[in-house]
Amino acid sequence: MSFKRFNKQNFIIDSANAFTSRKITKRDFLKKMGVAGVGISAYSAGMLGSGARPFFGNMAHAAESNTPEDVANFLREAGKPFAGTTIRYTSEATPPTNVLNELKSEFTELTGINVEIEIVPLEQVLAKATQDVQGELGTYDLYYLDQAWTSTFAQDCIDPVEYYKAKPDLAMPDFDFDDFSKPLVEGISEYEGKWIGLPFDIPIFTLMYRKDILEKHGIEIPKTYEDFTAAVEFITKAEKENNIYGTGCQAKSGHYSLECDWTQAVWGHGGSIFGADKNFSGNDEAAIEGLEWYQKMLANSPAASVTSTWDGQWQMGASGQIALCQSWAEFFPGWNADDSEVKGLWEMAKPLQGSATLRSRDDVGFGEIPGWGHQGGSSIALSRYSKNVDAAWLFLQWACSKDIMTRCTLAGGFAPMRNSSYEDPRIVERKGLVGSGTTRHLDTVKWTIDNVMASEPDLPIWAGVANNEIPTELGKLLTGQDYGGSAKKCMDQVAKLVDAVVDEAELG
Amino acid sequence: MSKRALLPRWLTSEHPLPWLFPVTSLLLVFGLYPILYSLWLSFYKRNPATRKETFLPSYNWEKLFADDRVWDAIQITFTYAFVALALQLILGLAIALLLDSDKKGFGVLRALMTLPLVVPPAVTGMMFLLMYDSSFGVISNALYSLNLLSPSAPILGTGSTALWGVIVADTWQWTPFMVLIMLAGLRALPKEPFEAASIDGATAIQSFIHLTLPMMSKIIALAVLIRGIDLFRIFDYVKVMTDSGPGTATETLTAYAGTVYFKSANFPYASTVALGTLILVLLTATLFIKIFKVRF
Repeated sequence: MSFKRFNKQNFIIDSANAFTSRKITKRDFLKKMGVAGVGISAYSAGMLGSGARPFFGNMAHAAESNTPEDVANFLREAGKPFAGTTIRYTSEATPPTNVLNELKSEFTELTGINVEIEIVPLEQVLAKATQDVQGELGTYDLYYLDQAWTSTFAQDCIDPVEYYKAKPDLAMPDFDFDDFSKPLVEGISEYEGKWIGLPFDIPIFTLMYRKDILEKHGIEIPKTYEDFTAAVEFITKAEKENNIYGTGCQAKSGHYSLECDWTQAVWGHGGSIFGADKNFSGNDEAAIEGLEWYQKMLANSPAASVTSTWDGQWQMGASGQIALCQSWAEFFPGWNADDSEVKGLWEMAKPLQGSATLRSRDDVGFGEIPGWGHQGGSSIALSRYSKNVDAAWLFLQWACSKDIMTRCTLAGGFAPMRNSSYEDPRIVERKGLVGSGTTRHLDTVKWTIDNVMASEPDLPIWAGVANNEIPTELGKLLTGQDYGGSAKKCMDQVAKLVDAVVDEAELG
Repeated sequence: MSKRALLPRWLTSEHPLPWLFPVTSLLLVFGLYPILYSLWLSFYKRNPATRKETFLPSYNWEKLFADDRVWDAIQITFTYAFVALALQLILGLAIALLLDSDKKGFGVLRALMTLPLVVPPAVTGMMFLLMYDSSFGVISNALYSLNLLSPSAPILGTGSTALWGVIVADTWQWTPFMVLIMLAGLRALPKEPFEAASIDGATAIQSFIHLTLPMMSKIIALAVLIRGIDLFRIFDYVKVMTDSGPGTATETLTAYAGTVYFKSANFPYASTVALGTLILVLLTATLFIKIFKVRF
């Protein structure tokens, strides 16, 4: 057995289950743990939900550098004055950041600029960026900005389009801003008509299903919420003895992952987070229907769903615990990697369509974009307080250049930000591949981005609300701490809290 | 010339000031200044959108008293502190009595008792997280086998059990601290009263109730005070194991202050919650010192 990380985790789980059900002795269990190289810290960090996003890409697929000669020459020349400078960037362990961390030495070789990438869980990225902008410290030259924070940090970042024009001597040839996917720019990187950063990552909700389980029970690929609900309930019941659930959730109380699940459910049932009057509308009829549907799904999920974020949900899919999942498309490459136990069994389809009509953008507030596929993208942004702003600007252009972005996709399997990457021969030739390095899911991802992508509201307090008030109260409801199971009571309380924060910020 | 004459005058002075200066300045910089800064910060209202801070001295303090989450957090903090303290005190005293012996091997046992204390609390939290896992956790599976818990209700994912899960981790780590203090007290007790009681026919339990406990009362009070203050500011286990959840089932005051600070970036209000915690700890500790007549 190969002990690539995710397979190793399955091996450990299987061994632990076998031990607890007395199928193997303690001695055998310890031997297996020894083989798997289990140490407390590694075991805990890897398996227990550090909140890091799963990455099971393979750097071997990153391919050789295909940087055009004029771009390489530009970097050599432009980088000379900054040789020896060190720039700092803090980010969540997103797949593209992991790849970038591996490729950054190529940039240093060309320019002499050193790059330190500090990879920490999402909550810590937010805390670090918040403290940096509060004191205008310039500790970080570049910020990782989740789409939920774009408006929060808008005033702290330099507009890259403007900077490109303002600094022609530092402008990378053929950088081509128009090549960035328009919906992504609008949903992730823009605020009030200004670019806050460059789009860098696009996890987006699509439907994923185990084709073997669906075929076994003669179930069609779900297209609507009704189809999905029926399939999930059927499979949970039919596969109970095999410990397979219809679906799995990322419902960790107080965590942003739960808020993402909730917004998807709300939009999917024709609701929205805010109304046109800028009041919270997550407690109206459509939104409550969405939340009640989510409660039903949670009842058909592994118990660990209430303590899981995205990595826990990924593990449910990797360990064969769930049959259907509407979640982050970036799970797909790992589930289909060569050393995955479920390789080739997962397929991707378009996100579920709700029976209700989506609300138009005029009917919602704060720039929210209702849609069938929740996006959780992020940008890299240039800090206004950076002491090495020009060196950081060179790195930012390099990181978001055509070749690097394509290579990030090749190594990580996640969706590209640039339209040209989808047509890159290196991407196209892997569409028929089943196994590591597959790009066969990218057409569905691109369709979702271009047609039904949903974005959370743009308001400067959203980072706080999406990470605190909403998921905390939802957690109380879903774990039975409060509200007696009543979705309406819970969301009325959330409405009160969110509207109070909006009023306090004088945004109402 | 004597060595003393070669040293700077302040270094040979018998005045207390030069000797108090280093520690006093440390206390001022790292103790008093942050408190005063927090107090100053708590008098400002922050607009989370514009980050503008307006001087409104009563705003955050009024908000503190009206905030339901603060009252819930106070209740959880007190529950946590009292239950954990009681468990650690009883277990600590019991284990100390067992280890209070000069027989061979007991010295090693006493040394081994200190091992949990060298593990960082965050690592302890991770270890227990692992042992509580509903799929493969040894504690969870033991409880499932005994039908005391159901796999559908994970220990840390269920409101009614999550706080207990955290308390157990805290108790595992900090009971040895109680053992050490109690052992130090027990081994310093005079032998004569116990010998006299034994000659008079007192049982071990009678000796314990009428001699050990009264003679140990000051030590116990001191241990309770030190550990109690520590428990009121619990943060690491909660952060690592439950992140205050599920819902707010394990949200202590310090954890809530952390949430307001790190997630909502409302620094003035977070400072107010932290100061509120400090006031609560001071009041409780003072009350305890008065009632139990603790003398240092």
